[in-house]
Amino acid sequence: MASSEPAVRVHEVSRRFGYRWVVRNVSMDIASGEAVMLVGGNGAGKTTLLRVMAGLLKAHKGQIDYRGMVGMVAHHTMMYDALTARENLVFFGRLHGLRDDGRADRLLERLGLGHVSGERIATFSRGMLQRLAIARALLHEPDVLLLDEPLTGLDDAASQIVLAVIAELKARGAALLIATHQLIELASVTARVGYMVSGRLAALEPLPGPDAGAIVSRYRDLVASGV
Amino acid sequence: MASSSLFGTALAVARKDLKVEWRTKTAFISSLVFAVLVLAVLYFARDKTSVGDYDLAPGALWVTFTFAGMLGLNRAFLLERENHALDGLRLTPISPTALFLGKVAGNLVFLGVVELVSLPLFILFYDVPIWRQLPTLMVVVALATIGYVAVGTLLSAMVVRTRFSEVMLPVLLLPFLVPPIVSAVQLTWRILALRPLSEMTGWLSLLAAFDIIFFTLSLLLFEAILIE
Amino acid sequence: MGLALVGLAGIYVRALMFTPIERTQGPAQKIFYVHAPVAWAALLAFSVCGLLSLLYLMMRDRKFDLMAAASAEVGTALAVVMLTTGPLWGKPVWGTWWTWDARLTSTLFTFLLFVGYLVLRNALTDFEVRARFSAVLGVMALVLVPFIHVTVYWFRTLHPDPVVLKPDAPSLPSVMLVTLLSSFAVCTVLYIGLVMQRYALAVMQDVREEEAAGGIS
Repeated sequence: MASSEPAVRVHEVSRRFGYRWVVRNVSMDIASGEAVMLVGGNGAGKTTLLRVMAGLLKAHKGQIDYRGMVGMVAHHTMMYDALTARENLVFFGRLHGLRDDGRADRLLERLGLGHVSGERIATFSRGMLQRLAIARALLHEPDVLLLDEPLTGLDDAASQIVLAVIAELKARGAALLIATHQLIELASVTARVGYMVSGRLAALEPLPGPDAGAIVSRYRDLVASGV
Repeated sequence: MASSSLFGTALAVARKDLKVEWRTKTAFISSLVFAVLVLAVLYFARDKTSVGDYDLAPGALWVTFTFAGMLGLNRAFLLERENHALDGLRLTPISPTALFLGKVAGNLVFLGVVELVSLPLFILFYDVPIWRQLPTLMVVVALATIGYVAVGTLLSAMVVRTRFSEVMLPVLLLPFLVPPIVSAVQLTWRILALRPLSEMTGWLSLLAAFDIIFFTLSLLLFEAILIE
Repeated sequence: MGLALVGLAGIYVRALMFTPIERTQGPAQKIFYVHAPVAWAALLAFSVCGLLSLLYLMMRDRKFDLMAAASAEVGTALAVVMLTTGPLWGKPVWGTWWTWDARLTSTLFTFLLFVGYLVLRNALTDFEVRARFSAVLGVMALVLVPFIHVTVYWFRTLHPDPVVLKPDAPSLPSVMLVTLLSSFAVCTVLYIGLVMQRYALAVMQDVREEEAAGGIS
């Protein structure tokens, strides 16, 4: 399954809003079966970078190459409150050209939502919504998955399910980029960390250590050095 | 495997919109109530001695459709703002054209139902010979509605990002309604007055031209609204 | 720009002093020398706005957006002049402030259309979104204007006015014609001058915003 080509290559990508450059000259490669953590303060550009990589925003400079399909899990569910979990999945699957062949039900089971598949998502807790969003992102079996703070607002049980799914996706060869503030939990499934400071990717390197402290101090060093 | 064809995905979007609307019903009920109110007010406010029913009726009908319709148009894209659902749509391979067609279809059904419910009321209020003319009238209503909805869908997609979208839409849309609605009123008047077809061809061609040109234009321009 | 203002003053002088008083309408007719050319300039402004909007959509060059907006603003201002001189002329001549004359009504709707354009621009803060959306509206507006003209004109001719008027009789004495034509020319120059000024102002604002936001990567 290993291949010399990265699953996604980001090459000198920049994006602005109005006159403000929010992502500046970011380059990174992520291989199949690899999970990279993306850390940075609020406003550092993590979300924007993910949105550009997902294709929601155009890159004003640079380019992105993918081998395969891209999926995204964002802060908002991007689904309809008035529809049930199942209906939402079937609808979005339909837009990907997928027939309702039980795929939606399988995904719901896998993410522990089988018992609520027929309920409107307006009633769902944050944890359930997040898991549903992951199910939706997996509908078209993406090779690259972008996650924007996937564990925020989740309780332990839900977090465990999500982390297990991430590990499983990694094992199956997907490439993952995960923006997060929850360093400890994600350190268990990621091997590299990207540090974003003021829109730039200040560094992209292996985990400095299994605990959050090492990551935080490396981040602070980078901020201080004014990269 | 179902294809992600243009019409297939457009239809999926339209059905989803209608399903959601059916479950919440808010826009639909407001539009209906509004239509009834406008019709009733215009009816009771008229001075029967100075203006005949024939002259007033077409205007009343179209004012009703126009304003009730406006309430429904914004709903199409307001729906997509909740939970950032529009991003979810943009993450799929759906083409801007399919999305536009789907939204237009949903709006057409919405408006169509409002019109179908208002029409009997209109007949009730205004004593005009409508039965024999009903097919012709329906054609005119359909044509005018298509043009109205096409432009309205495009504009609502833009306006939904502003703060006062309910107000912005009429402000932007009303000048665009001058050709189709004036044509529709002229045609309705002639239909109800049992005028010969020859008197209507001019307005009909204007209406048709408006529809064709603006439907196409709105379709083409929609992509510019969607792609960031 | 200065040239246009001088020209404008020149027209006024000529119109007031030198052009003979038209027989049936009296001195108020002289408003016509401003009214019609300004209407023309407004229409020119709106058409240019539409064309520039199309160019923006095709090439995404910020300059087109700024110029389109400048043109729309100037056009709207000119339309206001036209819409106020219309009634000012109308009252003494026809006895009413407003009449649903084809040209006036058509300009009124076009004016409202471009007021909407400016309102939309005002309501959008992100400049890229603003440029894109106003360009879309600009193109739609450009295509709509002829439709409005036709609609209003047909509506008018099929519902004859109680007061029949012929504001520009085909045979104008040459003196008046000269005044009129030079007025057209002056208004066109005025339009160009105003747009240039407004555009320059917009560019300055733009540059300032750019500096405030900091440089590139």
